[in-house]
Order: sequence, then structure tokens, then C-alpha cells
Amino acid sequence: MDDEIFDALVIGGGLAGLAAAWTLADQGKSVLVIEKGDYCGAKNVTGGRLYVSPLLPHLGGLLDNAPFERSISREELCVMSAEGSLTLSYTDSSLAALPGQSYSVCRAKLDRYLARQAEKSGAILATKMRVDELIIEDGAVVGVRSGGEALLARTVICCDGVLSLFPQQAGLRGPLEPRHCAVGIKEVVELDAQLINQRFGVSDDQGAARLFLGDATQGRFGGGFLYTNKESIGLGLVLGIEAFSAEGLDLTAPELLERFMQRPEIAPLIAGGQSVEYSAHVIMEGSFDQLSRLYGNGVLVAGEAAGFSLNAGVTVRGMEYALMSGHLAARAVVETCKRDDFSAQSLSVYQKLLEDSFVLKDFRSHRSVAASLDHERFFGFYPGFVTGLMHDLYRVDGPKQPIYPTVRKHLKASVIKDALFKDLGKVRKL
Amino acid sequence: MKRIVVCYKWVLDEAYIRLNADMTLDTNQVDHKISDYDRNAIEAGVQAAKALEGTTMGLTFGTAEAKQSLKAALSRGLDESCWVNAEEASQADGAATASALAGAISRIEDVSLVICAEGASDTFARQTAPRIGALLDLPVVTSVCAMELLGNTLLATRKLKDSTETLEVELPCVVAVLPEVNAAPIPGLKAVLAAGKKPVTELTPEDIEADLSPRAKVEQVRGYVMDRKNVVLKEGSAQEKVTELLAHLRKEGVL
Repeated sequence: MDDEIFDALVIGGGLAGLAAAWTLADQGKSVLVIEKGDYCGAKNVTGGRLYVSPLLPHLGGLLDNAPFERSISREELCVMSAEGSLTLSYTDSSLAALPGQSYSVCRAKLDRYLARQAEKSGAILATKMRVDELIIEDGAVVGVRSGGEALLARTVICCDGVLSLFPQQAGLRGPLEPRHCAVGIKEVVELDAQLINQRFGVSDDQGAARLFLGDATQGRFGGGFLYTNKESIGLGLVLGIEAFSAEGLDLTAPELLERFMQRPEIAPLIAGGQSVEYSAHVIMEGSFDQLSRLYGNGVLVAGEAAGFSLNAGVTVRGMEYALMSGHLAARAVVETCKRDDFSAQSLSVYQKLLEDSFVLKDFRSHRSVAASLDHERFFGFYPGFVTGLMHDLYRVDGPKQPIYPTVRKHLKASVIKDALFKDLGKVRKL
Repeated sequence: MKRIVVCYKWVLDEAYIRLNADMTLDTNQVDHKISDYDRNAIEAGVQAAKALEGTTMGLTFGTAEAKQSLKAALSRGLDESCWVNAEEASQADGAATASALAGAISRIEDVSLVICAEGASDTFARQTAPRIGALLDLPVVTSVCAMELLGNTLLATRKLKDSTETLEVELPCVVAVLPEVNAAPIPGLKAVLAAGKKPVTELTPEDIEADLSPRAKVEQVRGYVMDRKNVVLKEGSAQEKVTELLAHLRKEGVL
């Protein structure tokens, strides 16, 4: 039997890979997805929230009936010190409207659904298969080797996630550095849907997302997160690897998560629930400057393998960039098939498509965000300052100062005066 | 050409089944797989086909779910596959299952060998091979841990408790193999791709002569957790405690 040469071979059946496969198959291209897990989504850790709105014009056919959990109608931010916390909760009529702009998602469900859609469109899916290496001939990627077998393709799309090795093999990016990476650690607690509705003040289809700054990470670079799913709560921590490798930390990441879950802000929310999942993974604290080169001869990189995760301060986003970049990689392959030219120059249309989309527009506009966030005062000093001020504003145990003198006392008391001007400069970059 | 039929079952992947607090099973989001022991049965079929210079056919009796199994079975080296698609499969007992499989086998020409696993990895009822043999009036060899084909003769080694028994059977016959019979290789990518192009036959209950009504009905399936013995050894010296521990372990058959 003659060996088939695929138009595209996709490494990794996650969001980027499946969006690429669905798009290619939908356009009549032959595509094979190679996934290492028992099924698509099996290896995924994302404690997920997907911003659907920017994707629907492009991937409506794929996402219209996808199994999402709850539409996020309540956006919350909790600033924590060791002693207290201040939580802001925001909602409005547009956040509460359905269909929502963003949804919590369970990847084990979502990825399987997307895999089925891709297969229905004609993509071939091979699970429990590992790609060993790219086959590179005369400087061009021409296929992959898996289990000692060579498979040939006109293009290879690397969608193998944050710990991706193949873009490195193709010379598109260097090894990851600890200072650009965080470890995400997550627990899923199963809880009755009605209890979730009551505890978060939401209805059946709606949910809350809460981010935590400050003591959740003991004042170091990172944060906590919590999302409501239909019948479970996903919560965890993101810990900057460099910050947590430094001296002087007495707790390990699992201990920090344990401590986080016992905080009075968290414990009542998950009380009575059953822990059903525990997982951890590397996350890229992504920014424009850490993106991989996105294409080479016969090869494209999409999703987190390319570095498409963005820490934008009050939102951490990755999944919509994965879906969109996978989709655009597929469109680039469709274009290059017309020309029958799979060189880097021909595939550079991918970069152009990304530049014209929200993906690279967001990464460009957030270029300096990650660097300005990387400052201890944001995670240690300010949370303490805020809760200290709140403490004095609300405490009554004798003669009480009016509001303004209390605020002034706090502003004067600390090192804040010098730092504030510098940090305001940073804040302008957010 | 001689045909080898391998029967297999499409079962839930138990690794993903969760136990609810009330001991019921949570099978939401649980995928199916080819029953573990059937992988060895399929490999035995592939090897037998080489020896007999014959062809192999996978055969399964299952609900609509089992359609996905065809490719998975074919990727393991079978030449073609056949699926009896019946809703009754979800409630079938050993007799109904064997009746469906035997009904399908009797439609297939030149069958020299029918291979089953000793039992399925979900129920391990060990009925399929003996019942098929009875229905088709063929000799049956169970608990086979090694097999060899010499012309029209099967040389099979059966694993007994503390010994083995080797016997000769004229083909056609039915064998039930143990996992020890071979090491079933994980199919490679090319085998997976090739599987999509192999011939598949779908049969319905109307196509076969079979009695699919179960006489043994499953009432419930529940998790089972063994009670802990909670034996604490705290009296005596370390030496005595260890001696006592060993005595307990021997009593439990652990050592």
C-alpha cells in the first residue's frame, strides 16, 4: 500500500490541534492528529475559562453546541493579606446576558467534543500515540517519526503544549527559562449545583470567576484562581517558578494550595464538596517577547507550544489564543496547498493572519504587562496596605478618626510614598 | 481460504470509572476499549492466520457504541471485521451473547478457528467460548496459555492450577486464550491508519439466527470496597511484633 502523504499532520489533540484539524478537514484537506493521551483532554490541566466572543465569527461551526459549563456573569478580584482580604465583585447586564462572553469549561469534556467534531469533518485522530521526533530533510520538516514509523506530511503543525519539544527541534525556539514559567496547581471540588448557585449568588447557567492576589502566594509572583463549573469548583494557584525557587520559602506548592483552600475566604465556598481531581502543569507567563518563531519550512506552531498564553493582570488567557492560532495555522496550510509551496516564505501567511487577528494584536498591546507585574510590591506590600487600611476604616473600638485622616495616616506610615510614584508608572503599562 | 474468527468485547475503560459515595458507578465521560484479554485473543488470531495462511475476521456483538471498536480491532492486525449491532447487547447474558456470535459465525464460510479470550475484562463470566462451541457443535479448548498450529491440527497448552495440560484438536474448533498466550503489541500509527480502509460488515439481529433475550438479568452493578481489618500490633518487642506481623500476612495468604 502506498503511504499516504497528509496535507497536515497535527501533533497534539488539544484546543489548538483540534481547531486546526477541524478547520482543515472542513476545507477538504487530509489531516491526521496524533494525541498522546488515552483521549483528547486526558492530559489537560487547564482550570478553564474560555472567552468565546472573539472566536465565534471564525469557529462558530465548531463551538456553537460545545459543552461549556457556566457563563461567567460575576467577575471577582480578591486581594489578600495574612490577616484579611478585600473582594471586589463586578457584574452587569451584559455579563449576565446569555449567550455569555466567556464560559468556564471542563477540558476533559470540551476536548472530547471537539475531537468528535473534527472526526465528523473528516480528520483522522490517533490517540495513545506519541511523536518521537520531526523528520527534517534539507532544512524542511517533512513528517514525524512515531514508534519507529515515519509518517510524511506536506506540513506539520506543532500543538503540543507548553512543554513542546518539536519547535525546539525545528529550531524555532530555545529551551524554556524558569523566569518565564509558572507552575499551575489545581484541585477540582465536586459540589451540588444548587449549593454553587447559592454560594456565588448565580443562576443555573451562570457562574463566577475569582482571582486572588497577595497572601495566596505568600506575597510572591503569582496568584490564585477559582471558577465555578456546573457541578464543581476548580481552584488553584499559579506560582512563578523563579520567585518560588528563591531562598526563604518554607512551604512547597502543594502546601501553599492546602493553605489557600483553608483560608476563610475559600473554605466555606467548597465546604461539603468532594475533591475529585488534583493536577499540576507548567504555564508560560507569556508575553510577546517570549513567543516562538511561528513558522519554518514545512512547520507551524500554534497554541501554548508557540507561547500563546497571556497574563494580562486581571485576566489570564490562553485557550482562545490556542483555538484561534490553530484555526489560523490551518487556514495558512489551506493557502499554501493552493500554491503547492510549503516553504517558510509561503507559510509566513500564518504570521500575517495572526497579526490581523486578536491574537497578535493582544500580545503586542500587552507587551510590557508581564514585566511590570513582576514586582514584589504588587504581591506583598499592596495587599497588606489595602487590608490594613480597610481594617482601620471599619474598626470601632474607641474614639474614631474620620475617613480621610485614616487614609492619610496609612499613606504616610509606610514606604509607600516613594514607591507609589514608581509603581504608578508601572500601572500605566497594564 | 481458511478463516480465523476472533470474538472481542467493547467494554468501558475501568481506569476511568469512578465510585460514587453510595457505591454506584459513575460511568459519565468513560470511554470504551477492547477488553484487555481480547487484545491477546486478536494477536493469537493474527499469528494463527500466518501459520494457516488464512485470513482473520474480528467479530463483536454490541450496541451502537461498538461501532468505534471496529477500527480499534482492525488496527491490531485483523483483515476485516464484523459487528452485530443490537440494542439487546446492553442487557445480554452469556447465552444471548454466544447465540449472537454463533449466529454470525455460521454465516461465515471456511471458518477453521474461533478464538475468544478466557473472559471479558468487565464481567469475566467465561461463558462465551464454551457456549459458542456448544451452539456450533465444535470442540472447545479453554484456558489456553500456548498454542501452535500444525496443518489442520491445533496443539494447545492449557494452564491448570499447578500444572499444564497439552492437547491436540482437529480444526475447526473454538479456543479460549489466557493473556499469557502472547504479548499483544501496541499498534503503530500506520496500522491505525490502515485500519480505516479495511472492510467492515454490519449485521442486525434480523440477519442472523439468534435468541437475544437474556434469562439472567443484571439487577445492579455496585462498587465493592473491602473492609480493613484494622489489626494493630503494639504489644511486645520489635522482634515479636515482626513475627506476629508475618503470621498475620501468612494467614491472609499475602506471603
